[in-house]
Amino acid sequence: MEPPKIWREKRGKYLAIGIECSDCMTKQFPFTENCTKCGSENVKEYKLATTGKILHFSIVTQTTDEMMSSTPYLIAIIELDDGVKITGQIVDCNLNEVKEGGDVRMVFRVLARNGTEGLIRYGYKFAPI
Amino acid sequence: MAKRNVFIIGTGITSFGESYENSSGKLASKALTLAIENSKIPKESVQSTFIGSLVSGSNSQPTIGANCLRESNIKTPHVRIEAGNASGSAAFHQAYLGILSGVYDCLAVVGVEKLSDFVNVGVVERILGSTIDYQWEFEMGATLTSLYAILTKAHMKEFQTTMEQLASVPVKNHKNGVNNPNAQFRKEIAIERFLNAKRIADPIGKFDSAAFCDGSASVILASEDFILHNNDISSKIPILGSSYASDNLALHHRNSLTELNATKTAAATAYKMANIKPENINVAEVHDSYPIGEILAIEDLGFFRKGEGGKAAEEGLTELNGEVSINTSGGLKARGDPFGATGVAQIIEIVEQMRGEAGKRQVGSINYGLTQNVMGTGAITYVNVLGKEEVKK
Amino acid sequence: MNKVGIVSYGSYVPRYRIKIEEIAKVWEEDPDEIKAQSQIHSKSVPGPDEDVATMAVESARNAISRWKGKENDIGAIYVGSESHPYAVKPTATIVAAALDVEKTLTAADLEFACKAGTAGMQMCFGLVKSKMISLGLAIGADSSQGRPRDPLEYTAGAGSAAFLIGSENIIAELEGTYSVTTDMPDFWRREGAVYPSHGVRFTGQPAYFKHTIDASKGLMEELGTKTSDYQHVIFHQPNAKFPQVAARMLGFSKEQVELGLICKQMGNAYSASSILGFANVLNHANPGDRILLTSYGSGAGSDSFSFTVTESINSIRPYKYDTQYYLNQIEYIEYGKYARFKGILR
Repeated sequence: MEPPKIWREKRGKYLAIGIECSDCMTKQFPFTENCTKCGSENVKEYKLATTGKILHFSIVTQTTDEMMSSTPYLIAIIELDDGVKITGQIVDCNLNEVKEGGDVRMVFRVLARNGTEGLIRYGYKFAPI
Repeated sequence: MAKRNVFIIGTGITSFGESYENSSGKLASKALTLAIENSKIPKESVQSTFIGSLVSGSNSQPTIGANCLRESNIKTPHVRIEAGNASGSAAFHQAYLGILSGVYDCLAVVGVEKLSDFVNVGVVERILGSTIDYQWEFEMGATLTSLYAILTKAHMKEFQTTMEQLASVPVKNHKNGVNNPNAQFRKEIAIERFLNAKRIADPIGKFDSAAFCDGSASVILASEDFILHNNDISSKIPILGSSYASDNLALHHRNSLTELNATKTAAATAYKMANIKPENINVAEVHDSYPIGEILAIEDLGFFRKGEGGKAAEEGLTELNGEVSINTSGGLKARGDPFGATGVAQIIEIVEQMRGEAGKRQVGSINYGLTQNVMGTGAITYVNVLGKEEVKK
Repeated sequence: MNKVGIVSYGSYVPRYRIKIEEIAKVWEEDPDEIKAQSQIHSKSVPGPDEDVATMAVESARNAISRWKGKENDIGAIYVGSESHPYAVKPTATIVAAALDVEKTLTAADLEFACKAGTAGMQMCFGLVKSKMISLGLAIGADSSQGRPRDPLEYTAGAGSAAFLIGSENIIAELEGTYSVTTDMPDFWRREGAVYPSHGVRFTGQPAYFKHTIDASKGLMEELGTKTSDYQHVIFHQPNAKFPQVAARMLGFSKEQVELGLICKQMGNAYSASSILGFANVLNHANPGDRILLTSYGSGAGSDSFSFTVTESINSIRPYKYDTQYYLNQIEYIEYGKYARFKGILR
């Protein structure tokens, strides 16, 4: 887990910061210097909505060892209330009870730990409302 | 200026599976040597070697070509080309362009992957994580399998595709694989095994995904001029179309989860280059790393209408000598999936079909064959159309 | 004289709980006897992806999202805990980044067993009152470790409480604070050790009770208040018995203690223990109510505070994700899963 990468990505991962294009007015994630829809450079930082709905989900039982401590867990594509779609885990739920269309809110959790001596990567996940 | 024609003049492939005694360089060398022998050309004629590989094995030596060519005692320039699980096809496409451009007349393509060294938990999952959006999918918890599960559920929801329809894909591919001497698994598997297996990422079951393994496959490409000057060459299979297309890396950025747009776009170009229509294809090797992969492929390649792929698979329309024979080699599922080698192995299967050398897997009446090789969840797809030797352009 | 006080607050308790019976079963001990001693029937357990930083952030985000001020005014962040995820690398900076309030501020992690949260509050009160900052954030959070089979294993829970401290739109005005501190070997954890050790009975009379009572009495004497002036009183809650006994010794009634006694469902959240009780009291207190809060941290010391609730409290209430919300979110787990979540199984 590379320290500069963790540092560089913290605003995206901790705060889910994307962009709003001042020309085509679309909201996008993750942060880019230019609008990915119209190419405009006239973009500003935009903090995504913190609530949304589950569009699609699946379960993860096997992944890299840095993330194995949380398995099995649910992974979902979520449509936030501002229309932006994002991929994240669903926590604080019974694995069998989650449904498409379910309401969720963003929470702050450990994404991965590099062993017991390395860095900890934090970021957004989602919990049912 | 008239377009040059590019031909496949030789093929070589190792058996796919766990090959603990061989390094990636050695595997690549074996396939390359076989391909040169099969071409019946002096190895000095190869002008450059294009190596397709997702990772370099446990040697952390990205320039696999150096080891491979030293093993083979071949002295050509070499380059490794990476496009995730489609790296083999990427190397093939670049070599095709190399000859098409007139810069080269004879090139070697080698696809190789060495995965059995990665015995520790999660290493291959991390490698596959690099084929999806690593930052915003993988690091947020998604895996390739979980995203394919989402693609599967989306198809099931929109088109009422059933578990039985999905399971009929690996059943057929294992049946085909029985007759492929290089396949990792040469055993038929009953549909109940797939349906009753534990779900690893619902609705994907334990036996549904292709197994990653070791292997290498190689083809030699040549120009018409080169073939004219090398009388020993006994087979020349023309590449009629070769194209690739890209899509958003992350599923959350796609407009639709029931089609792979990159496959549609790449296929449209390849068909146009070959001046044929989807219905002209008789045999195709498609990316069936998960059952939904083959269903999406046969729809997006235009063999069946959108939403009817599952039904077609279940009704046997994709079986050997069906409406279109899909994955006669056994596909990734039965042949095994050494990522970088897969795309080249697909080409070799179609070449063998075109040559009439596919033995019990041989498709009866055949004019055109196709390969489709996908990176990750469809961020890049390569499509190639091959013809028979008689086909004149 | 400028006023200073709490301007907002937030709570967080993980949803997993383990029952006393479940732990007692493993060690073949009598759960009824343990429950009779501690009056705790279950304790909170952080999920595998939770730690002091995540809990601190969740409580702080709750404090900010219910409040109408500007979080960029935060000039200091202090996170008190005895279980920071890093021995070196502050939790407070993670909190600052997760609240998007980097970078012109001061921040530090604090440790004083179970009272580092209130120590951070005092620091913020001091900085705001001296006008060195206009707004401070003090958090007490813990994901405490109890050695398997140790009596603490039955009670060591997890949680976090966060307090925004300022001088405008105060919801609970500080009337005074008073601390007592002595050197006391009642509970400790050496550098690098996983589990704390303790002096068993020695943690009671000369430690918890002496400091809690001296600080509370000292504050009331200084302010000239008496027990009947307070509607609510909150003490540190290593179990449910100690705070009730301390209250009785000081002359408080059962009713005065009740609202702040939250450990029965969630155990002892260490640095968050007394202040989560305080947060729960703020959820229900009426304008004009006076509140006495006294923390206790082994080693040892107590910080006592006297607050008056103001009319402004209604501007940040009701709030969905309050203390009660988290106390009501419960998934009971078995010892095996508990052992996995706590890293006992590796």
